[in-house]
Amino acid sequence: MDLVLQPFLRSLETGSVYALAALGIIIVWRTSLVMHFAQGSMGMFAGTAVAFVFNRSGLPLWQSVLVGVAVAVALGFLVDFAIIRRLKRATAVGKEIITLGLIMVFLGLAPIVFGTDPMLLPRFIPSGDIKLAGANISYNGILNILIGVVIAAGLFLLLQKTKLGLAVRATASNESTARLMGVPTRSVTLLAWAMAGVLGMLAAVMIAPTTTVTPTFMNTVQVSALFACVLGGFQTFYGPVVGAYLIAVLSNFLKLYVSSVWGDQLMYLLILVFLIFRPNGLFGKTYMQKV
Amino acid sequence: MSTSTVTRTASPLNQLVKALRNAHVQFIVFGALLCLLPFLAKAGLMRNSTLSTLAFVLIYAIIALGLNLLLGYSGLISLGTAGFVGLGAYLAAYFQDDLGLGFWAALLAALVIPTFIGLLVGFVSLRVRSIYLAIASLCIAEILLKTFEQLDWFTHGTAGKQSRFPVLFGFQTDRSTVFIIIVVALVLGMMLIHNTVHGQLGRALHTMRSSEVAAQAMGVNVLKYKLFAFSMATLYAGLGGALYLFFLRSSYPSTWNLFMSLNIIAMVVVGGLRSIFGTVAGAFVIFAVPELVLKKLPVIGDVAGLPYIFSGLLIVLVIMFFPNGLKGLADLVVRPFRRRGQAPTPAPSQPETEEVAPA
Amino acid sequence: MSDQEVLRIDHLSISFGGLKALDDLSFGIFDREIFGLIGPNGAGKTTVFNCVTQFYRPDAGDVFLTVDQSRLSGHDRQAVDASGQARLNLVGRPVHSIIRLGLVRTFQNVEVVKELSLLDNVLVGGHVDFKATMAEQLLRLPRARREEKLYRDKAMSVLEFLGVDHLAGQLAGGQPYGVLKKLEMARTLMAEPRLIILDEPAAGLNDTETEDLSQTIRQIRDNYDCAVWLVEHDMRLVMSVCERICAISFGKFLALGTPSEIQGNKVVQEAYLGEQE
Repeated sequence: MDLVLQPFLRSLETGSVYALAALGIIIVWRTSLVMHFAQGSMGMFAGTAVAFVFNRSGLPLWQSVLVGVAVAVALGFLVDFAIIRRLKRATAVGKEIITLGLIMVFLGLAPIVFGTDPMLLPRFIPSGDIKLAGANISYNGILNILIGVVIAAGLFLLLQKTKLGLAVRATASNESTARLMGVPTRSVTLLAWAMAGVLGMLAAVMIAPTTTVTPTFMNTVQVSALFACVLGGFQTFYGPVVGAYLIAVLSNFLKLYVSSVWGDQLMYLLILVFLIFRPNGLFGKTYMQKV
Repeated sequence: MSTSTVTRTASPLNQLVKALRNAHVQFIVFGALLCLLPFLAKAGLMRNSTLSTLAFVLIYAIIALGLNLLLGYSGLISLGTAGFVGLGAYLAAYFQDDLGLGFWAALLAALVIPTFIGLLVGFVSLRVRSIYLAIASLCIAEILLKTFEQLDWFTHGTAGKQSRFPVLFGFQTDRSTVFIIIVVALVLGMMLIHNTVHGQLGRALHTMRSSEVAAQAMGVNVLKYKLFAFSMATLYAGLGGALYLFFLRSSYPSTWNLFMSLNIIAMVVVGGLRSIFGTVAGAFVIFAVPELVLKKLPVIGDVAGLPYIFSGLLIVLVIMFFPNGLKGLADLVVRPFRRRGQAPTPAPSQPETEEVAPA
Repeated sequence: MSDQEVLRIDHLSISFGGLKALDDLSFGIFDREIFGLIGPNGAGKTTVFNCVTQFYRPDAGDVFLTVDQSRLSGHDRQAVDASGQARLNLVGRPVHSIIRLGLVRTFQNVEVVKELSLLDNVLVGGHVDFKATMAEQLLRLPRARREEKLYRDKAMSVLEFLGVDHLAGQLAGGQPYGVLKKLEMARTLMAEPRLIILDEPAAGLNDTETEDLSQTIRQIRDNYDCAVWLVEHDMRLVMSVCERICAISFGKFLALGTPSEIQGNKVVQEAYLGEQE
């Protein structure tokens, strides 16, 4: 077994999960200027819904995921419609604290709605793997990597090439100006929260087969996604995606070659040290205050 | 304010009322009343378990006071509070029990070391954007949590660290005395925060939160004051951790998770940003209400996630509909009885700034 | 007015994303002068302020401030000349260090703390004067208390000077716009500056308040012995109160002179007319 390529391929798999979660955070950040701390928890809730439907109703996995999409969109709409957009006078910090409150709400709600027993969720492609220059990768792993790359690329094209993307970018750069220019900023923001929900749900469904579905199973993903944004910088959409893959690679190699116990912690420290030298992240520009 | 008015209306009652207007006197009276609680418990008028719950309320109040300086006055979020509290607890245990250095050394270690780590984390993250502090502190908390689980010689791992009541000035303390130590720490903590916010420091923090550019133009070194606020928050967290250990005499890694940090944020928000007594009330609502009330409710009392939903919903609802928390509620009740105050502006927090240190 | 320059802007240039916001701009302001900076929308007026106060770092050029010996510390002391003053380049200094040198500004959209009283807001302007250390303040040691008392009295007198001392104990939030504008000015006066920068002080004021403002600006100059530099859209205010005016357009220097000279200047007229088309 190859000791470089193997962990690298593994990393691409988890990197895709982190990238999706990070994209959710960045979309909300760019449109609402709010750090979406509940991204992981909302993904957890929708992902648990998928596991619940799959285990209880016997629907095939892909149909269960469709149910998950519906749940995630509904949650995203609900959070923006019922809470965020009503906070006209609250500061960004106020909104961020709200997302912290939402973590607790979803964490408490999940066992009440879906029961307290931990659930399992199978892989999309149950078995089979291919050999690649001495390393193994499962079909499911390839699928996960593809999902991550395709969605990231698709979102990128959507944002750069379509009218919708223009609206999102306009809202991101200056909400009130965008509104005056006729951009439906409310719909854009609503859409951003829903998209974040779906991305979080996908991340949850992809990471679930490696663990059991419990209220805390998305914690690592949430922390990694936040760090991916910090590492890649908050100003671009591609930065956090690159950051996500880097974090996954770094984490896996540190765990393999330095310490299986302290790998993640070492990586956190490394990123903090990195911040000293490049405070705005890999692709970030110096942020200029408006006076 | 001037001495002439004092001599004119110097009846004892008036003097008492006047003294009670002084915030420091209020804190001391509050503390004195709290000190009666252990005696109530000893006399059998209060359950011991209730006294324990209240002790934890006060410990959380101390931690939340520090966080209020950060969140309320400076507008910065920390997600690492629990990690620093846990570090304080383990340091206190390590210095007191493993090194045998006694109460004061243990307390000092629990204050100094978390604060120092806090300064480092703050320095790294606060230079960019304020929100980076939340992320950096979150990751420090993760690192600390892992340390608590893994560093056996220091924390005794998941088996938990056991400790004992401290010996203070040659006396062996017990539950009641430690309770009183907690009260003393709380009162001192309240005084220190009061002094901090009513003066140049507090004004600088206020200005920084309200507008960073204005603060800079007025000569406020923003990084320095952010670091100050964060290091105060970690100082209070370390203190809370030491007191937690002295009272409970054990510490388990699983205690110091993200949800404790979030609960402390909930205490600050629910009690009222920038309110000292409000923070104590917030600690009571968030910690004691689930413990003393919710758990005893029929049917839903057994639901595991209930305290989380309670805290989380309160955070959301308070910010949406009642941004000044319990403090705002108290103001609303008191206002009709005061002289006509100002127009209904965001945060009426005036009475305390009126009384200046006497010349 | 004297003929000593308190501020000299020297070949200042800055661009944002390839767009030149300021292009080789130079002019000077005399001691105790009331100086106006005008220009059509987007001329870069506020950018000049931001480059002077170091919120923006100019790409090229210098900003020299004449500073009294008593305000200097450390290395800067060596620059003192025979008259007991130093001419310091501000470019590259941290934003928060500027006020200490005697230069302080207001903001276009008043930046006061709503949750603090007027008095406390003014005291923020005295921030750098406090000598008590953090520890002294935390423990309310004598020096901290003494200073607090001292500057509280000073802040009251500033509020009195601007005629809003009766509101001292009230919260800034909820006060009328005119009061907030005065509050911001009071805050700058607290620092006893040598040069005050007012960013659109008349914006949002009605006619009587604007009238009142020109009076106030003169009083500030006379009582506090400082130069006042304003950026303003309200031409009546600028023409009535300023002694000299500099006009710029698209970041470039157009003209400098007395109000009547500027009013009669062809280039300036064209720049403004161009805007109306």
